Amino acid sequence: MGSAGMAAFVAFVVGVTTILSLLLGDNPALFGGVPGSDELARRLALPGDVLLRLVAIVIAVSIVIGIANLLFAHIGRLARGKIYSAILLASFAFTIYWTITNKGDTSLLEAVQVPIESALAALLFVSLAYGGSRVMQKRADVWGLLFVAVALIVLLGSIPLEGLAPVKAWSDWLMAIPVSAGGRAILLGIALGSVVAGVRALLGQDRAYRG
Amino acid sequence: MTENAIALVSFVLTLMVFSYMLGDLPLIRVLYRSAVYIFVGMTAAFTLVVSYEGLILPYLQDIQNSGTSWTTLGNSADVIIFFTALLFGALLLLKPVRSLTWLTNSVYAVVIVVGASVAVVGALSGTLFPLLHTTVTIPEDLSADFGALVDRLIIFVGTMTALFYFHYQTRAKSGAGAGQSRLGRGFRHIGKVFIVTALAAIYASTILTSLTILSERVSFLFQFGAT
Repeated sequence: MGSAGMAAFVAFVVGVTTILSLLLGDNPALFGGVPGSDELARRLALPGDVLLRLVAIVIAVSIVIGIANLLFAHIGRLARGKIYSAILLASFAFTIYWTITNKGDTSLLEAVQVPIESALAALLFVSLAYGGSRVMQKRADVWGLLFVAVALIVLLGSIPLEGLAPVKAWSDWLMAIPVSAGGRAILLGIALGSVVAGVRALLGQDRAYRG
Repeated sequence: MTENAIALVSFVLTLMVFSYMLGDLPLIRVLYRSAVYIFVGMTAAFTLVVSYEGLILPYLQDIQNSGTSWTTLGNSADVIIFFTALLFGALLLLKPVRSLTWLTNSVYAVVIVVGASVAVVGALSGTLFPLLHTTVTIPEDLSADFGALVDRLIIFVGTMTALFYFHYQTRAKSGAGAGQSRLGRGFRHIGKVFIVTALAAIYASTILTSLTILSERVSFLFQFGAT
């Protein structure tokens, strides 16, 4: 059995065990009034519980490895004279120092992290507004018109002015009916895609762990 | 850090990020990129702290307490799970060693497949079945309200035709009955109307959110400038 075959075999065994455990475990009602169904349901939940704990710790360790990789990459870039990497490394070191010396103090988060995040989110407005104007320049067809019209109705409907009450009613109806239908279809599409991707991984068709 | 110091640092960093709007000038680029690199370094540090304090440390404390257990197997099983997970983490570092690829790939397989299994079960029981159920179920009290019935019908038709729009098929060879039927194309067009409407509403909602954040930031800049 080659490397890919071994990984696919492990994937299949672990995947089937986890899915069965999650679906059947901790649900005695599934077994009706069979004596000992509580104990059976509890036992069936055990493999899934163990695997989820295991993977949670592996993911935590992976995050640490990923951050170490980021730091090593920027140390390498710094050695090649990239000055921005020095800013990143200094910021990282200072935050770690601050967190260790000021346990429970969130002022660094409030002073640096929150303002930068908020400002970046605010910049999104400029990008979105520019993108919206480009839609009509690049795609002046019925779909582009529909997109801009719906976006304008929703935006105008959010303005609390008496004169815009009819637009607000339109906006509310749009959000409750057509947007809800489209949103449901998108969510169902995502769920179907997740199921297909999950089953592909389970059957060893996922390239991520096949080397 | 005092209130004034927090406000001053916030003010400077907000201006550094907003400098992006002034264009791609050398000095401006330095300000914006510096702010972004500070952000990435700090985010990495906070992520490290949170994953250690929120995940690894509690698990480590749990296994040291013989009175607690994650599963019904008891504390000794917890110790085995914890050290197996650490071993798996260490094995991930051996990815560059070609002769041990089968081992690292097997660890990847465990992590990916457990995640995929949780996603499958979550998608089936949390999204697929409940959404399909609410879409096709007609409440009993609708018979008296014709408008509500029409609305339910629009939601049903919209969801189904939009799902049909996601259906992809390869075009058959020319001359062999290529393409979709006229009815299929009609369903796709109706579905596209609902998808475009939903995406436009999401776009408008995102614009509103970012506009709210922008106004809060600009108001903060003016308030700080005034004091």
